[in-house]
Amino acid sequence: MAEKSVEEGKEKFEPVIVGFFCRWCTSEAADLAGTIRLQYPPNIRPIRVMCSGFIDPIYVLKAFLEGADGVLIGGCHLGECHYINGNYKAQTRVKVIKEVMKSLGLEEERLRLEWISTSEGLKFAEVANEFTEQIRRMGPNPLKKLKRE
Amino acid sequence: MRVGVFVCHCGRNIAGTLNIEKIKEEVAKHSGVVHVEDYIFMCSDPGQKLIRDRIKEKNLDAVVVSACSPSLHEKTFRNNAASVGLNPYKVEIANIREWASWPHEGKPEEATEKAIKIIKATVEKVKSNIPLEPLSVPVTRKVLVIGGGIAGIQASLDIANAGLEVYLVEKKPSIGGKMAQFSETFPTLDCPQCIETPKMTEVANHPNIHLYAYSEVVDVSGFVGNFKVKVKRKATYVDWNKCTGCSECAKVCPVKVSSEYDVGVSQRKAIYIMFPQAVPNKATIDPEHCLRLVYGKGCGLCAKTCPAGAINFEQKEKIEEIDVGAIIVATGFDVMDPSLLTEYGGGKYKDVISALQFERILAPSGPTGGKVVRPSDGKEPKTVVFVQCAGSRDPEHYMPYCSKVCCMYTAKQALLYKHAVPNGHAYVFYIDVRTDGKGYEEFYERVLREAEATYLRGKVAEIYKEDGKLKVLGVDTLTGKGVEINADLVVLATAAVPSEGIKELAKVLRIQTDEYGWLKEAHLKLRPLETATSGIFIAGAAQFIRDITDTVSHASGAAAKALSLLSRNRIEREPLVAEVNEEICSGCGNCVEACTYQAIKIDPETNIAKINTALCEGCGACQASCPSAAIQLTNSYKKQLFEMISILAKE
Amino acid sequence: MRVPYFPGCSLKDFADNFEKSAFASASVLGVELVELPEWYCCGVVAPLEEDELIRKVAPARNFLRTKELGGNKLVTLCSMCYNTLKLTNLYMKKNPDKLERINSFMDEEENYDGTVEVIHFLELLRDIVGFEKMREKVKKPLKGLKVAPYYGCLLLRPKEVAIDSLEKPTVMEDLLKSLGAEIVNSPLKKTCCGSYQVINNKEVASKLVYKIITAVTKRGGEAVVTSCPLCHYNLDSLQKDLSDKYPGYKEVPVFYFTQLMALAFGLEEEVLGLEKHEVNPLNLLKSKGLI
Repeated sequence: MAEKSVEEGKEKFEPVIVGFFCRWCTSEAADLAGTIRLQYPPNIRPIRVMCSGFIDPIYVLKAFLEGADGVLIGGCHLGECHYINGNYKAQTRVKVIKEVMKSLGLEEERLRLEWISTSEGLKFAEVANEFTEQIRRMGPNPLKKLKRE
Repeated sequence: MRVGVFVCHCGRNIAGTLNIEKIKEEVAKHSGVVHVEDYIFMCSDPGQKLIRDRIKEKNLDAVVVSACSPSLHEKTFRNNAASVGLNPYKVEIANIREWASWPHEGKPEEATEKAIKIIKATVEKVKSNIPLEPLSVPVTRKVLVIGGGIAGIQASLDIANAGLEVYLVEKKPSIGGKMAQFSETFPTLDCPQCIETPKMTEVANHPNIHLYAYSEVVDVSGFVGNFKVKVKRKATYVDWNKCTGCSECAKVCPVKVSSEYDVGVSQRKAIYIMFPQAVPNKATIDPEHCLRLVYGKGCGLCAKTCPAGAINFEQKEKIEEIDVGAIIVATGFDVMDPSLLTEYGGGKYKDVISALQFERILAPSGPTGGKVVRPSDGKEPKTVVFVQCAGSRDPEHYMPYCSKVCCMYTAKQALLYKHAVPNGHAYVFYIDVRTDGKGYEEFYERVLREAEATYLRGKVAEIYKEDGKLKVLGVDTLTGKGVEINADLVVLATAAVPSEGIKELAKVLRIQTDEYGWLKEAHLKLRPLETATSGIFIAGAAQFIRDITDTVSHASGAAAKALSLLSRNRIEREPLVAEVNEEICSGCGNCVEACTYQAIKIDPETNIAKINTALCEGCGACQASCPSAAIQLTNSYKKQLFEMISILAKE
Repeated sequence: MRVPYFPGCSLKDFADNFEKSAFASASVLGVELVELPEWYCCGVVAPLEEDELIRKVAPARNFLRTKELGGNKLVTLCSMCYNTLKLTNLYMKKNPDKLERINSFMDEEENYDGTVEVIHFLELLRDIVGFEKMREKVKKPLKGLKVAPYYGCLLLRPKEVAIDSLEKPTVMEDLLKSLGAEIVNSPLKKTCCGSYQVINNKEVASKLVYKIITAVTKRGGEAVVTSCPLCHYNLDSLQKDLSDKYPGYKEVPVFYFTQLMALAFGLEEEVLGLEKHEVNPLNLLKSKGLI
């Protein structure tokens, strides 16, 4: 059994996750996670944006269409947005995007919205770990298979 | 497009994990990249010179520096490029340290792959960046200082003495803060009355300082250089223009309330002046306890007595608006409520008190006139146990951090106690004695000799009452033995904690706090006086507990920061604001609704969205709401995001 | 309700009256404690060693047995077993890679997936049965019996396995109140009982027991109540020497909380196993009209 699990490990599916992180909170949290050398999987590829409220639904869909297996959006905690309420806007939009995703045959769990503040480096690493594991369990983005066919 | 990519090793911080050669090789293949070069420290002088030289030699029109977080050196590299004529907005940072080499130390290959993707995506972004000039805006050359403790006092005086106007807002009826509550201060044993009171008076009399005591900041809008602040001036029910501070009112007031200033060691009246040296020296009515205000009728003894006719039960709170260019937050700290420390009998036994309470008991001008007596029966305590780190350095229960000032004030209190009760004995439980300041170790040595205190290295496990004594169970880790002391009085050096209400204030100011509630600085080492919001600075213990010496230095530092910001009449602002493509805009108005700052209007004549760049904060919410990509955030164009996503989303 | 139950060594030997009274009282509450079919020593402190993963296999096997019984909660009576099993389980949950290795040591068994939850019988009574329900089952309230709960260390430390507030636990107090007893609050209820020092340095344990018991008698306590076989052993058996050593020393009987439950539920006296006690509790119980 031991050998088998090692072998399975070799073939582990490595998902691609695109991250959109607001520059005031989650980007800083990601910086902090790095600074204190918290280790998390390199599967998350980050884009620093001004605010989670900046994220147009089309960006998320574009990421999935380009082959991402998951998308993580990170913003400031509700009530702590640098732009007062951008994160509320993000929250509403994410709901809409999830509806669109379902209609495309994408599981809505592939998109996650998290509030991670500047000081929450640990939370950032935990979310990165957990989300990567979750997407790994879910397997590749079904749209990719479609594209190949 | 001719893009140059510069890859920093950051010593071994980046190069120790990432394969620099591989990065160079891959990035060089990317379209538009005409030059790739690495160097051990790109931010150093030779590193920056290297970039300047290449910009000129290779005729680069865009640069990507692959290094640490943009929060650290974006400005450095942009200014550097600007000095040889490259527009600073044609420089972007690819963060391959915090986001690749550090968090993936054990996975060099994957981390290198990730770094390459990040760099390529950044190259795509910079290719479509347009050159920009900073927006120049006029500034209001006035400063708001929040909090009137020694930090706020020092910052206000520094700024006012430099000739700028200061609004000093203090939520209590008097300025002075925690320092005004102390007995004598380490290591010099100066009394705060002698060293702080003159500064308080100076504040009161300074022509450039507007003192708003008993007031709170309730709303802040605007941005660096131009903040609009709403200050709530709470009702004192006393006309301060008439009040002479004679205290006749307090003498006749029949209601006694536990005194905040004396931390419950004494009582004040429902109408009170915080302490004799209060500034402003004016009376305030506590509406929660005043019989007249609670019941709406009756009593009124103070009004009958007041020789100046200053009492006004009808007074209402009012909101005042002020304009300032910079804000200094100097809200200080609080001490942990000892009743949280149930294992030490905090809140349960009258003779288990906080060190701040003991300061009041020791103070020559305090409620006991400097006579050391214990709260339960007023007797002189012959055995006093000091418990250091009560709630500090205790990650399992309370605060994991060291509260920094307790070792020193405990030593001081042990000494003052010995002076007051020469035949008394003090025990001090400690984890480590930290004496990290000028003259501190010497002072501690003096205390050991003069106070004859027994220092026990170890923690107290339990304090309970038995046979009329406080039984203190602890351990002396140096002898490995359990210790039992029958004490008359226990003084807990309770942890310093962020001041009450700081989280709410931080929200109003749109600045960050750390996980405990201390204000978050822009960079712990290099920008400890600034917040991430430009124009808002931190002074003193609001950032983290510090002693008076450090607080005063920190406050003068914050004042200097504010002064340098306001040294000119105009300041430059980031030009990253929204822009409208008039040919596409249909005037649907989605963006108008999405904008939090009312920076967008639909022009009634053309039916096209128009942006007021002075109001636009550059968040980009409008862009996400626009159905036709007519409104976009400068240099965060859809095209750029699409290109970046394509690169990052691919396997 | 059937709940998988892990006994541990003491409960089959000198503390069998703890188990017997627990089984009997549980059935009054409609709880059936089902002993794991083939259980291994909890490992005492050995599984807590981080770098010797093989030592965590015994706990892992106990968790597999739990799952085979169809449960995801494993109940213990002994505080030591509770502490060891819970800490080891948490370690495996927090370190999936280590769990994978531990699983690789067990070739004939299923893999343990970290889904079992270890609880102490006191938690089951408080959180699942509820003390209110217990109150309904009381036939003989322990009226006038002044008892001092004694927690020792293992139910409360470290924090991640604490069944209650570390500094101010109330679970035993609440339980005993629901049985009608009068609570005596001793400040030394969390003080060490001397643990294994009873073997190689009896004097240390003896001194601690003296302090713990006198703190109780000073406050009018007539009995001490515990949940740990080792605490019970020290507190009960070391008192004989104390009477010789300290003139005027007052002995008090030491009970398992389950014995008092059985007593209050009006069960047969024999399930209490009172004959095992060193300090004779019969006089006290008779004087209160409880037996």
